Amino acid sequence: MVADLRHDDFLQAEPAGPLESSQNQPSAVLTVEKLALSLAGKEILQQVDFSLSAIGVTSVIGPSGAGKSSLLRCLNGLESGWTGGVKIDGNDIRQWPGGWDQLRRHVGLIAQKPLVFNTSIRANVCFGLHGWRQRRRADGLVKASLQQAALWDEVADRLDAAATTLSVGQQQRLCIARAIAIKPKILLLDEPTASLDPLSKQLIEQSMLQLAQQIPLICVTHDLEQAQRLKGQVIFMCDGRVIEQAASDQFFRQPQQIETREFLRWSVCDCD
Amino acid sequence: MSVLQQQYRNMLNRYTHGKALVLLLALPALLIPTMVLCYIFWQAAPVLDWNFLFGTADGIGFGVTEGIFSQLVGSLLLATMACLIATPFALGTALYYRTFATPWQQQLLSALFNMLQGIPPIVFGLCGLVVLVNLFSWGVSLLSGAVVLAVVVLPLLALNTLATLERIPNEYSEAGSALGLTKGAIILRLWLPRSWRQLLTGLLLAMARALSETAPIMFTATVFSGVVWPDSIFSPVTTLQTHIFYLAQEGNDPLLISIAWGSAAVLVLLVAFFALLARLLPKSGGN
Repeated sequence: MVADLRHDDFLQAEPAGPLESSQNQPSAVLTVEKLALSLAGKEILQQVDFSLSAIGVTSVIGPSGAGKSSLLRCLNGLESGWTGGVKIDGNDIRQWPGGWDQLRRHVGLIAQKPLVFNTSIRANVCFGLHGWRQRRRADGLVKASLQQAALWDEVADRLDAAATTLSVGQQQRLCIARAIAIKPKILLLDEPTASLDPLSKQLIEQSMLQLAQQIPLICVTHDLEQAQRLKGQVIFMCDGRVIEQAASDQFFRQPQQIETREFLRWSVCDCD
Repeated sequence: MSVLQQQYRNMLNRYTHGKALVLLLALPALLIPTMVLCYIFWQAAPVLDWNFLFGTADGIGFGVTEGIFSQLVGSLLLATMACLIATPFALGTALYYRTFATPWQQQLLSALFNMLQGIPPIVFGLCGLVVLVNLFSWGVSLLSGAVVLAVVVLPLLALNTLATLERIPNEYSEAGSALGLTKGAIILRLWLPRSWRQLLTGLLLAMARALSETAPIMFTATVFSGVVWPDSIFSPVTTLQTHIFYLAQEGNDPLLISIAWGSAAVLVLLVAFFALLARLLPKSGGN
């Protein structure tokens, strides 16, 4: 399917105005304005602007070094040296009640490399919960989180087994369950299916689509087919800037910017 | 013989000579300590029995009675107290280094502890004598000795704790941060459960180091005789290290020298026990 979409049509399509779709989202839950980040003297993000609606998946694509992962780290507060504005439901995340730790409970982040803690599957799911009493009485939450992460059927009979005994794909789904368990309002996923087997990839995508019906998801991916399958919005980033944001169908069928068309055709971006 | 065969033989000869040279250099490093150990145990063998290990001097023996139990307990008490005193500070320093210190503070701390490790322990003993024994009026006591020994083992413990915490990957901590865990929760629920074995290993090595130190406790904690068991932390103690030191000065009395050899063997075994335990511990279960 992607082969069809990577047709010369991309290069021939008429631009219809930049970031058109983002302008049609009055009920944005996340607004990013002029976000800029420099690390070790290098500009990682430059004047990043976009907004997200209340639910659905937003795929962030772009070449390596475009600043996609750094964007997620800024939104989750793992990077704090940025400038500009990031608002969630109209609240500036720099002024978040309870500070960065509370913000991170609100904005979950799942890394590319699945990293389970050296404890049981059950304890991993409950790891983000406050208080040992809450963690001990979380059977219902454990089940619901694992079900949402499409892992329950595989681990229901061995919740007390070490999480490290799971396969890599299962560990990544466990990381998703762990992030879901703290009930984030936004979930960020940094290449969650990179280097996973097709079945795990499919299960994680199913889980993401299910979650996206309840909360907004931002998923960084290098897999253009995956960005299409996840539908929703697509943000194309290159050289630390957002080049284009559009609905998935429109993005892949009628990319507006020349850089986007070049990237979709050759998977390279020359926007310096 | 073909040219190739000749070249092969030459190469083999060079290799054999190289191997011989390396062996020649390596063997003394293995043989000498082994011979010393064998000699210690050979000399100690005649006195090593239950009475020697578990007998006490009854406060009057001045070393001539054969039991070393009070010295053994004194050494263990001092080393344990020193490690207990040093551990929280070592852990605190390492946590500060890992969580709050700026890069130049990290360099400063690292350099400071490496330098402290190089200071001769007798210097700490002298400081302990002036400050703890005299100025604080703690006297020659278990507490004075333990504090001085704690200062001696602190760099070792801090550097080990620091290295242990540095081995925890950033991704691991970030996975905790991403769940909204506070710094305290990350330390208590992620770092310490992951690295407690390595921390315990450092503690055991520090015990071994504390047991092998003599100079810092000579002025601050120990007496040769007159004390069997310390009444309180302000009482002096007798230790194996100083016991050997004093007995060795009585070179003309074969009985005392044989007791010194016996004490040395027990001390070596004690240090080896902690050092071996420290090596075995990480293998008993990994992360």
